[in-house]
This record gives sequence, structure tokens and C-alpha cells, in this order.
Amino acid sequence: MSVAKLKYALPACVAIAIFICITAFDGKDPEVHFVRPDGWPKPVYNFKHNPLTDDGFKLGRKLFFDPILSRDGSTSCASCHTQWSGFTHVDHSLSHGINGLKGKRNSLALFNLAWNTSFMWDGGINNLEVQPLGPITNPVEMDNTLENVVHKLDTSHAYRLRFYKAFGDSIITGQRVLKALAQFTVMFESFNSKYDKYMRHEPGGELTAQELSGLNIFRQQCATCHPEPLFTDYSFRNIGLPVDTGLNDIGRMKITGNPADSLKFKVPSLRNITASYPYMHDGRFHTLRQVLDHYTGGVVNSPTTDPKVRQPMPLTDQDKQDLIAFLQTLTDKEFLYDLRFRDYRD
Amino acid sequence: MKYFKAIGCIIWLLCWLQPALAKGHDVTIVVTPAFNGEPLILDSGRYVTPHGDKISISLFKCYITKIALFGAEGVTGSFSSSDRLVDAGDPSTDTIILHNVPDDNYHTLAFVLGVDSIENTNGANDGDLDPAKGMYWAWNSGYIMAKIEGNSAVCPTLHHAFEFHIGGYQSPYDAAQLINIKLPVPVKPTSNIIINITADVAAWFTDNLDLAKTNSIVTPGKEASDMADRYRNMFGVVHLIQQ
Repeated sequence: MSVAKLKYALPACVAIAIFICITAFDGKDPEVHFVRPDGWPKPVYNFKHNPLTDDGFKLGRKLFFDPILSRDGSTSCASCHTQWSGFTHVDHSLSHGINGLKGKRNSLALFNLAWNTSFMWDGGINNLEVQPLGPITNPVEMDNTLENVVHKLDTSHAYRLRFYKAFGDSIITGQRVLKALAQFTVMFESFNSKYDKYMRHEPGGELTAQELSGLNIFRQQCATCHPEPLFTDYSFRNIGLPVDTGLNDIGRMKITGNPADSLKFKVPSLRNITASYPYMHDGRFHTLRQVLDHYTGGVVNSPTTDPKVRQPMPLTDQDKQDLIAFLQTLTDKEFLYDLRFRDYRD
Repeated sequence: MKYFKAIGCIIWLLCWLQPALAKGHDVTIVVTPAFNGEPLILDSGRYVTPHGDKISISLFKCYITKIALFGAEGVTGSFSSSDRLVDAGDPSTDTIILHNVPDDNYHTLAFVLGVDSIENTNGANDGDLDPAKGMYWAWNSGYIMAKIEGNSAVCPTLHHAFEFHIGGYQSPYDAAQLINIKLPVPVKPTSNIIINITADVAAWFTDNLDLAKTNSIVTPGKEASDMADRYRNMFGVVHLIQQ
């Protein structure tokens, strides 16, 4: 090849490389591809109203980690929702928000939110997009208003630029704050635990005899309320926890006003359960063993106690050990340590 | 690529010309908050309820959404982009313009007083339905469809205040009200007529409402939907004004 030809080869290669880069990335980012795993139901969340984009996701991530959402700039979403615990407040039975004030309920883990039919322990919130309004306006969490959040963000040039990138202009509205947060949180997908790999017959999914025994017991005793693959049926049930007279939390009845809903709370997913202790709506149990002991001997029967738990569960000590071994296979480290959900100071 | 550009130019041109090409005219609706027929003056302390309670009103807001006009040809379709939060404290909110209304003789104006169940459940909305407008419940999702606040010496509450924040979209306590207003004479969009409707908030205090007993409704439920059944009668008076 002559030198003259080589002269053109380098710019040509550079041009081709640039072209490939542009077409490969073309405004879309591989970070934000929502996946519906095989065999899972159709997501409830309406993505058509909020198409996911790289810039929308990143704006949501910025907002999630930014205490600017709270009245005094002290508390962010991440304060009570840390990634390595499945986005809950690990080791806190009740979370503390602004001024160290304590809430009434254990913070919920956040993942697979696209399938949630309602939000919060009492199901009072009806759509992922409006869920952040709960903590933002709660006097013991962030004690703020969405109007004030919009106002504060609007004074930030950096945020106006982020909204411009995400939504095509720099106007900051309540709707856009909420849609951006939804773009981030709806991406918290957990479907790569050892159990999932077992179900998909993938390497790393080899369950031990004890774990398999636990899975069998689980399917007999627990799966009515915690059905696979999401490990919740999103219903509200009273599982017979003795009422904490300090909190006097009536649960779902606060939303519906219906006495039949007294002491009922949302059935939580059991995915990542070992990472997201403590357990129950008020975080009263610190170990899975305590939870199982409740079902075999702690249930208090009242008019709304669920029929499924009225009789003590017939679990031997060995059954409980096997069940716990199985529940540990629901921990999804790929999700818990997914770099996309870290706090980037970008 | 050249063709793409050319097609783009044509589309852009069509978009630009669209308002000029579109058929129909604008129809203007003005909502006038009032008390017993007189324009409402906030914090004036001059009103008396049917029960005989002297009151001052400090705030009145309500949603008017899904506006539709009925003519000889039937309904024109709704003008959802005109969803409006009317605020007695902000006169700029009282005028609603419906664009590109087809020619017809319209005899009835219809709208939802409040926000329908779809808008209550489909996530974060924009414009006047943006939750940042402060007409949204965070702990039990849904819009506050109408809100009135004030005080009266008879209220045994802090600052003698009363507050009615009315909402709830779930049956049987759906607070959204479908309002049909018969126009005095049929209106043609070409005739440059303003439809002036009065929102007479005295309706909130009818059925002999006793503020000493009922002075705070701030959650969805039976009390809220009963109040919505009262205040749906706010729109008794309609004037047509020639521009």
C-alpha cells in the first residue's frame, strides 16, 4: 500500500469509528433498558406515559440522592433507602427523617416497582409516579412541598440543564420531578438471584438439598400470599401481629375507612429478604427465625386475621432451617451492587 | 437525506400553518366566584350562611375539567387541554378559552367539577393538574377537587377556622361532579360571545350546614361526597356577554 493511500486510511478509520459510536449510542443508553423477565406478568406501570431515557434516568438518580428534596436539606430518598439492603433502611425498625423525627412504619424495600399495584404498607398511593409525594410531604420524613422542591431546583443552573437534557426544555415542573424519579426507581429490577438462576437452569443456580427442601415447604406453606415470581400477591392481610399499643397502627383501614381492613398491611415481596431486615410494617422482627416463629406460635386471632394464618403453621425446627436456607437464595447481589444505582457526583 | 429534510420542512410548515388552516373559532368561558350572587371578596368577613353563621372566606379553589359543548349536532368532544384550577385569589385563572370550536348552535356547556378517576390514577399530570399546585393528597393518592377555607366565630377550632378539602375518586364516594349548564340562548362560536358562569360558594353551606358541628372535611369519604353533592349547585347563574 502506498504512503498516499495510508494518508487517507487514518482519517477514514477515525471517521468510521466516530460513525459507529454515534449510531451505537444515538441518544440511547444501554443503562436504561427495562427488562420483563421471561414468564413474568405484564408490568402495571405505564411506560408509554413516561418513556425511559438516559438523561431522565440520570436526573432521577440525582434527585434520589439529593437532600434538596427535604425542607432543610438534611434528608434524601437514599437516607432511608440504601441500595445494598434492597433500597430499604437496614437495621432500622422505624426510620428517622427530618430533625431526627421517627416515622410509624418500617421503610419498604424498593425493587420490581413496575409490578406494584399500589404503594406504601397501606396501599394509599396509587401510582409509582406520585409515590415520592408521600415522603416529600410527610412532616417526619422530608416535611416539604412539591411546589417548594420545584422552586428550589429552579434556582439551580445545573438542575435546569439536567431538565433540559431530560425533557427538551429547562422548565422544572412537579410532573417532571416525579417522572424523573419514576424513571430511576422503575429500573430497580431484581431477577438474578440464585433462585432465578435455578429456575432458568443457569450456572450458579444449583440449589442444595436443603434449599430445595425449603423451596418445597415454601410452595406448600407460603406461596398463597407470596407467589412466585414476584413473591407477593400485592394484597393486604392481617397476619395476626399483636397490636403495638405505642403505635396503634390500623393499617389499610386508614385508607379505606372500612373496619374489615383493620390491621391489614401490604404483603411484601420476599426477594432480597436477608438483606432488608428488620421485618414487618413496624420492623419488630430482626431475624427470619423470629418471623417463622410468629407463624408457628405467635399469631393473635382477631376478626380480620387472615384465614391462612389462623392455625399455627405445621413447621418443624428443621423445616424452618430449610425455609431460611431457601429464602437466602432470593438475594440478588447483581441488583444490590448494580453500579447504575450508585450515587454519582456527576 | 435530502428527502428527509424536504419532508421535515413540509411537516414543519404544516404545523406552522395549522392554526390558520383549522376550522372553528375560540369560545371564552369566564368563571366568577360569588357569594349569594355578589362577586366573592376574600377575607371580607361579610357573609352569612343559610344556618345564620357569620363567616369570612379566605380561600376558594376548584377544578373545572373535561369541558364539552353540546350543540344541534351533538357533543363537540371535550377540550381536555383546558383543564383548569380556578382560584378566587388569582383572577388570571378565571378565563378558560376553548380553541377551534366547530361551528354549531351550542345549547349546553358541560364539565367535570373536580377531576375524574382516570386523572386520579394515571400518575403525575402536568399543567393545572400538576401535583405541585397543592391540590393533591400525598398519603392517599388523589386530587383535592375543590377547597374552601375561612373562619367563623361559631367554629370551636384553632383561629375559629373551617376547612373543606373535598376529593375522593373511588365509588361510592366519588366526589367528581358532572355539571350540565343550559345556556340561555344557543351560542355560535362565530358570535364572539363570552359565557360567564357564576360559582356561587354559598352552595357549600346549604342544607342548613352548621359550622359549629361540621367545620373540617379533609379526607375522602361520605362526608366529602355529601359536601360535593351540595356544592355542585354552585353554577346556577349564566350570562352571555357580547364581546
